[in-house]
Amino acid sequence: MAMMTDTSPASVRGNHFLLHLIAALALLAIGGGYVLWEVFQFGKVQFNTTNAGIHWGLAIVTYDYFLLTSAGLAMVASLWHVFGLEEFRPVARRCLWLAMAGLIGGVAVLFLELGNPWIALWATPLNMQMASPLFWKVLLVGVYTILLAIVLFGMINKPDAGRNPLMMLVGLLALAITLVAGAVYGMMAMRPMWFGGEIPVVFLIESFMGALAFTVFFSHLKNGFSHGNMRPETRSLFEGTLARMFAISIALHFILHAGRAVTGLWSNAEGLQVWEYLVAQPMFHIALWGCVALPFVLMVLPATRSNGLMQVLASLLVMVGLLISRYEFIIGGQMVPLFKGTWAPDLLPYVPSTGEWALLVLAVGLANVVYAFAAWRLGAEDRG
Amino acid sequence: MDEINTNVSRRRFLQATGVTGAAATVALTIPGTNPERGSAEAQTRRQPNTVVSKNICHQCPARCGIDVYTTDGRVHAIHGNPDHPIANGKLCPKGPLGIYILYDPDRWRGPMRRTNPQKGRDVDPGFVPISWDEALDMVADRLRNLREAGESHRFAMLSGRGWGTTDIGMMGQFGALYGTPNGNIGHSSMCSDGSMKARFFTDGNDSYNAHDYRNCNYLLMFGCGFLEAFRPYNYNMQMWGYMRGKKSPKTRVTAVDVHMNTTLAASDRALLIKPGTDGALALAIAHVILTEGLWEKSFVGDFADRINRFVTGETVTEAATPGPMEDPETGEMVTPEVEGEGFVPRWTHGLVDWWNIELKDRTPEWAAGITDIPAETIRTVALEFGSTRPAMAIFERGAHAHTNGVFNAMAIHALNGLVGAVFARGGMMYQMGPSYGPLPANLADYRDDYAENGPWRQQPRIDMQGHPDGYLLARNMQQEVGPNSLRGEPYKLDTLLFYQNNSIWTAPNGQVWEEALREIFVIDTSPFPSEAGHFADLILPDHSYLERYQDCGPMPLEGFAHAHLRVPAIDPIHDTKYFGDVLIEIGKRMGGRMAEYFEALESSENVLRHMARGFEANPGDNGVDGWDAWVEKGIWYRKPYMWQLRDGTFYEWDGIDYARPMDAEEVKQRLLRTPSGKFEFRSGRLEEHAEWIAGATGRDPATVMFPIWEEPVHPGGGDLYLSTPKVALHAEGRGSNIPMVIAHLQPTVGGRGEAFVEIHPETAAARGIRDLDMVRITSDVGSIEARCRVFAGTRPDTIVLPMEYGHWASGRWSNAVPGGHSGDCTVNQSDRVTGQCMYYSTKVRVAKA
Amino acid sequence: MPNWGMVIDLETCTGCQACTTACAMENSRLPGENWQDVLFYSEGEYPNLNISWLPRPCMQCENPSCVSVCPTRATYVDEGTGVVLVDWNKCIGCKYCMVACPYGVRFYMDEAPVVEPDVREAFPARGRRTWNPPFRMPDEYEDPSKGIGIQPSGVVSKCTFCHHKISQAPEGVADLDEDNPETREYTPACVRVCAPKARFFGDLDNPESKVNELIAEKGGVRLREETGNKPKVYYLSGGGSPVVPGSRSRRG
Repeated sequence: MAMMTDTSPASVRGNHFLLHLIAALALLAIGGGYVLWEVFQFGKVQFNTTNAGIHWGLAIVTYDYFLLTSAGLAMVASLWHVFGLEEFRPVARRCLWLAMAGLIGGVAVLFLELGNPWIALWATPLNMQMASPLFWKVLLVGVYTILLAIVLFGMINKPDAGRNPLMMLVGLLALAITLVAGAVYGMMAMRPMWFGGEIPVVFLIESFMGALAFTVFFSHLKNGFSHGNMRPETRSLFEGTLARMFAISIALHFILHAGRAVTGLWSNAEGLQVWEYLVAQPMFHIALWGCVALPFVLMVLPATRSNGLMQVLASLLVMVGLLISRYEFIIGGQMVPLFKGTWAPDLLPYVPSTGEWALLVLAVGLANVVYAFAAWRLGAEDRG
Repeated sequence: MDEINTNVSRRRFLQATGVTGAAATVALTIPGTNPERGSAEAQTRRQPNTVVSKNICHQCPARCGIDVYTTDGRVHAIHGNPDHPIANGKLCPKGPLGIYILYDPDRWRGPMRRTNPQKGRDVDPGFVPISWDEALDMVADRLRNLREAGESHRFAMLSGRGWGTTDIGMMGQFGALYGTPNGNIGHSSMCSDGSMKARFFTDGNDSYNAHDYRNCNYLLMFGCGFLEAFRPYNYNMQMWGYMRGKKSPKTRVTAVDVHMNTTLAASDRALLIKPGTDGALALAIAHVILTEGLWEKSFVGDFADRINRFVTGETVTEAATPGPMEDPETGEMVTPEVEGEGFVPRWTHGLVDWWNIELKDRTPEWAAGITDIPAETIRTVALEFGSTRPAMAIFERGAHAHTNGVFNAMAIHALNGLVGAVFARGGMMYQMGPSYGPLPANLADYRDDYAENGPWRQQPRIDMQGHPDGYLLARNMQQEVGPNSLRGEPYKLDTLLFYQNNSIWTAPNGQVWEEALREIFVIDTSPFPSEAGHFADLILPDHSYLERYQDCGPMPLEGFAHAHLRVPAIDPIHDTKYFGDVLIEIGKRMGGRMAEYFEALESSENVLRHMARGFEANPGDNGVDGWDAWVEKGIWYRKPYMWQLRDGTFYEWDGIDYARPMDAEEVKQRLLRTPSGKFEFRSGRLEEHAEWIAGATGRDPATVMFPIWEEPVHPGGGDLYLSTPKVALHAEGRGSNIPMVIAHLQPTVGGRGEAFVEIHPETAAARGIRDLDMVRITSDVGSIEARCRVFAGTRPDTIVLPMEYGHWASGRWSNAVPGGHSGDCTVNQSDRVTGQCMYYSTKVRVAKA
Repeated sequence: MPNWGMVIDLETCTGCQACTTACAMENSRLPGENWQDVLFYSEGEYPNLNISWLPRPCMQCENPSCVSVCPTRATYVDEGTGVVLVDWNKCIGCKYCMVACPYGVRFYMDEAPVVEPDVREAFPARGRRTWNPPFRMPDEYEDPSKGIGIQPSGVVSKCTFCHHKISQAPEGVADLDEDNPETREYTPACVRVCAPKARFFGDLDNPESKVNELIAEKGGVRLREETGNKPKVYYLSGGGSPVVPGSRSRRG
């Protein structure tokens, strides 16, 4: 069992990351290639959103999923950088690089989805529409991207880089992005399924939980899916605080998700009938029981909590479950047509198109390219 | 005529933009963020240089006057002509789409000749462009050869939406000079001849009615789609807004149909009737009106002793009318008062016989069993209709396109007789014609010997209209042209010209026409591709309606006379020619007297200029006194309607009021043009032909002259009635190829992107059909597919599929709409008496596709 | 400044969709880009069956949620007319306004065409116009900064109350009535075409206007008052007063 050394030069960091990079590039080529071919051939008309009412489809789900994961990862990194929790020092660098990877993957999808993304770059900051949550989101994400890049730049191939005071800002921005992202939906009084002051909190908990899942997964990936490969302090973090924190965040997510579903099922208010539809779908139960309740059990029981493979399983389940529930949330909120269509108003149907699935593949591929390249060449996995 | 520029206040404009500028936010003034707003041009908006020309909408027969807006050579808007008594500045949903029709990318670019001798739905005609000279010569040569062979009768021209003198009028003239009985076979039997004939048999007018909705207090509507398809649709809706929104008292409306549509939904009462039984409902209403004593006595007459003896099941007698006798005191000849219990008719004929033979047992309870409408409802409707004046019963094809249609229609129109609605204020009347000037040449002077006495004289019309072996009393029998020619009875056609007509698709069971047209030289004159065009050997494309001069005679409105003119908005955008000029140019190439006549006509515009001279002596209310003014206004009209029935007396307009009483002979000549000069519940014209009708139909010659109940017969071999209504956006053949129509079609029968077949939930469930499933509709003559809309507003025994889509050669959009054409499984069956094509009599089977 | 508003009388509306087609042709809209739609509903079973319809233009709200969510201020309230417009030079196509509009009146056409084949292919794009039909409105009317004319790609479009017409109206008129020759040319296309005269257009700030009279006399109501968007389109349904009084005041 070859121990990964703290200071291995780039050349000897191994085929491990190069293989990861190649695999990620392959994904990117498949997803991105298909998307770009479609966009050049047909335009963005291939994305399956329509004027009938589903305006934000899987692309926006993907974007928010990656963005919020990125923000969550920055928060996890802040536990050491800002709050000085030494326990989290072993994962802080990885989390920050993953945050950048997720951010790039998500924003790439957004740019491909938006009608005129380049206008957004100047028109948003110059027009100061402070009433719009999206204005703040764009602004915050912009500054976050720049500051995160600066922080990461300072770490490139500097395994001994210490806590960066800029991370106070990055963490704050990550927190704000999550809350504003929640507000984008939570403020929409005309969309009762989204509406509510708790949505930013829901997003906060989800992004933190998601970030922990990604931390778990990528830490295990780096260590060959074996706790035995971990350094002792890393191992104690994963078998101790992090696993417990993961369990608690899953529990909170379960409470909020199930709670909103129960409220939605009980209420007769127009717009909330979507919950009846959602709860009747197998996906809902796969997400709630298989991807939330099961990982919670795995992370609560002492026997499985500290088991590496169980942790990886739980993290994968949470990643998938989060994607499903984000999808159900964003699509579900739009399923009640607002003065569109005819006859007895049914819920609107929506099935992601091949192009939209390709966007997801593209995002996964691109994020992994960034991470794997950083790990291979920029010292993302060099012990700090 | 630059209407836009004249009224704009520039000052107001500058102010508005100036304030906008001052109030602009910081963000809006950042350089580069808003180049258009920041530019000097934006401060003083450029005014478009718009020309407005007059035209008449072409998308239904209503003749709405339209203002066509053209800017920089592009036609970009159509609005209702505000000075036009039909449009009144308004339009129906079809009107604005005319600008798309002009620029329809599927339009023919110029004359073309077929190169592929094979014909069929999936066969490429192989059209190649030719010059107009070649094309016209080809037709003239062909017709001349036919004439020289003594077979000129084998040339026929079929018209669809004809407009006036320079199109269908010219067809008739061409036929008369050329020598064919088939000069202009109209489509009226495939429209609503049953309605005209019912009026002809009862009040003597072979026409649709004009209506005085403005003063009507009760409308009883049978299968006429008043808010979807009834003409003039635009005007109807204007009247609807008035009757239902402004008028006091609000006009009450009961509507009868076989499915819930917007008309029924907007009415006070909606009755879903069993298809083909409208006559039974009308008879029961008549029964109640009589037994309750609600008939209009000043018009219908009354019992001599004024005691109502119309009692269910009991017969009545007509009073013996005593002859004039000498007054013993004065020695003058006088007509004594009728005494006793007999009925004394006034302006009606045959009520007593009708009651005794038919009506006395036609109770609401009887009708309930036939119509599916509860007896109590029928009684309520009858009491309302009978006790509200003025009231009108209006109807169209939904009621009479059935095997018993003539009787259904007569029974409904008889209600108008009973309540005295004909020629009354708030009732219905007939359309007066315009006073055109004479044509440049007199046709009779130019008929050569062949035209007068050629062998064609011995030949019947191809459709057997007017022939004892065919349809003796019908106006046209266009639906028979294809089948007759295919059978060779009475003969096979050689050459067939279509004008505004696509009966290969619109006729029921058009598959037969496809066979027939394979062996005929077909000329199509439509500006657009169509199924007829797909089978054509020669395409001579017309201008679109925004590119041509054309007269439009009146369609029934409020009775007063009107005459309309199309004025081109722009030069033709393709190498097309107005159909009237095509006929004139062919005529000029025919040689002999015929050519001389058409040389004398010169051109359709010249004909129109001559017609307009008639306005010089008789200027319109809008000052139109000749050609120039007609072009400027687009319409000549003169109000008022000349006659009115009031309290049992007919009056003629005397210049101030309806004040000059008319005698019985005048009424017979001008208004009630029946053999008796009365409104006939016992039809003299049907009685005259009772033996022929009995022979042709097997009916009882003793009762065929009355509005009677006859059980409808439903061919097709299925178990569900197939109803195929037209919808509001049905733009006469072109709606199906307009993407905006396909996107918008009213969803009670249509949908976004296609048309649905409506099926009742129980009917659907019994066949395992779910909402939005594709279903197969099958009859003995054919089978089509359509997407199902499960709809509780359709009768369980009926399916409803609009006649709109299912085209296969009418343009790229119509071809792409999913679903079949209702005509492909509609049986071609006609009323032997009226000639009406029975579009709604077929029964079909439905199964999941 | 006039505060333009519309009144739609559901009692006389016949559901004919002339407003829809007149709007589409006046404003050069794509098939299915129904700035002015008519929505049809049906429920129940005959004889207790109800078909109803609702003409639905943009409500031109006083508190438009679409304006406050737009991250670039591409959507804004026009100062001169009170109409909500879209500046196509600034619209990024994020569709947040479509999500935030309680009335579903916004359109994004860079999607699969509602009707196949795509009419845009028959009239191919030229310059910034994503299609170029010859029957489009005069060039002089087009103003991308107000969302008038044929849109460039990737932007949201919406009803402008025929801004190119109403903005030229004579100063101080209370109503833009198609039956008045003085105001006919400035009347929105959907109002001008309406055969049963179920639509009225006028200045809500002018106490003399016909629209104010109708709202008062016939009890005009607005859709979805609970959102607080305060539409400037009022619906009449035949009664002398609304069946259910609005829970919010009309003004302010």
